[in-house]
Amino acid sequence: MDLAALGLTLRLAFVTTLCLLVIATPLAAWIADAAGAPTRTTRLHILARRMAQAAVALPLVLPPTVLGLYLLLGMGPATALGRALIAVFGHPLAFSFPGLVVGSILYSLPFAVQPLVLGFEGVPRELRETAAVLGASRWTVFRRVTLPLAAPSFLTAAVLAFTHTVGEFGVVLMIGGDIPGITRTLSISIYDQVQEMNYSAANHASLLLIALAFVALLALYARGARRTDGGRWLA
Amino acid sequence: MPETALSQTQLPHHRLAVTAKLGALLISVDFELRAPWTVLFGPSGSGKSSLLRAMCGFEVGGPATTIQFTRMAQDGSITSMDALPSSRRDIAYAPQSPALLPHLDAGRNVSFPFEVCSSPVRDSNIVDEALGLFKLHALAERRPRELSGGEAQRVNLARAFATPGAKLLLLDEPFNGIDRATRDALLPELLRVAATRGVPVVSVTHDVEEALRLEAEVIRIENGQVVAQGTARTVLAEEARRIAAVLR
Repeated sequence: MDLAALGLTLRLAFVTTLCLLVIATPLAAWIADAAGAPTRTTRLHILARRMAQAAVALPLVLPPTVLGLYLLLGMGPATALGRALIAVFGHPLAFSFPGLVVGSILYSLPFAVQPLVLGFEGVPRELRETAAVLGASRWTVFRRVTLPLAAPSFLTAAVLAFTHTVGEFGVVLMIGGDIPGITRTLSISIYDQVQEMNYSAANHASLLLIALAFVALLALYARGARRTDGGRWLA
Repeated sequence: MPETALSQTQLPHHRLAVTAKLGALLISVDFELRAPWTVLFGPSGSGKSSLLRAMCGFEVGGPATTIQFTRMAQDGSITSMDALPSSRRDIAYAPQSPALLPHLDAGRNVSFPFEVCSSPVRDSNIVDEALGLFKLHALAERRPRELSGGEAQRVNLARAFATPGAKLLLLDEPFNGIDRATRDALLPELLRVAATRGVPVVSVTHDVEEALRLEAEVIRIENGQVVAQGTARTVLAEEARRIAAVLR
């Protein structure tokens, strides 16, 4: 089995999950209107939130090649953004580990945002209202009421983002190519081995991926059975 | 009673005007709160809780709702509360459902307003006093799910009484789930504490006896309208006679 590919995959999934939790928390909080007491929102505001939610969910339905294509163009010298990124990093982001992280963040974004949105929305409104009128500011309500009560959703978001990133193929191939040790993840390594008719190695790597995914999902569901919380997104 | 007259002049006054449509119910009220204790009295579904919600600054009805809520402080200054977020209205509130924070024990629920209070002048005695008032010291380390309905309601009330700097105390059916004996013991205590602190109280009830015992100002609400406002004895005279007739 390709151990370098396994190490790279786990590193990519770990970094991506950390970045995603940081990005997805404020995004989900905004979509779910999770700070302070629930407020009356204008139609424009509601529309903006729904549009953000739809945009976040796009990677669920788009072919990874579409996402990969635009990431490749966006990171390359053909666009102003790409040229700026090259100037900042000193090299094109495409075909590098940071490039893979950026691609994985976008690709797994819905898997981190959706459980958090559901978790935040599941906090009873009267708890937030009561906390607010008893003197808690918007931020305090979020930190001391919404966040602790939605805590299980963070586990759901982290497990889903991690496992989904591990299973990523198309985006990685498009923007990472297939450079051993740098961008060749386990899923791509399996593809290569099948191409070389090396079925035994492909089998081992595949079994490992199945076991990894199964254990992670089992942990999630076992927890969801004990408590009715953010895990319900999968159920 | 000269004492009452004195405390009345020291209390902040409030005025609430609401028009709102809640399903089939049309709320249209405009009243002043001047008494130390005012009871919003009326049948279920008459819009009483929505009036408390309006004072708190929560969502009430659809976009056509209009709310004007003003406070006349002791020094005569008039503040419109409409632009203030709930957290800056200096209101203590005990909702109808206890709405306790499930991840905090009873003691931490009671001290929650004290902990999140932004005012630099605050006295931690307020938490201890509230725990004592509602006899909660023994229950302080229990989680909300380990409390009975009546115990949870006492925590809910204690939390409202432990809110620092409150200029108005709103109690939505405060004795829901609390037995009569406990209620009758609590009523004079709550009256006394509210009067000592100079905080006017507005409570919601459909219990005639509770309103009469409080000797409160009663605002009778039916179908979203104020149909009478005055002392409990005058506004609830008919109900009082009916109770007396049953007992005879």
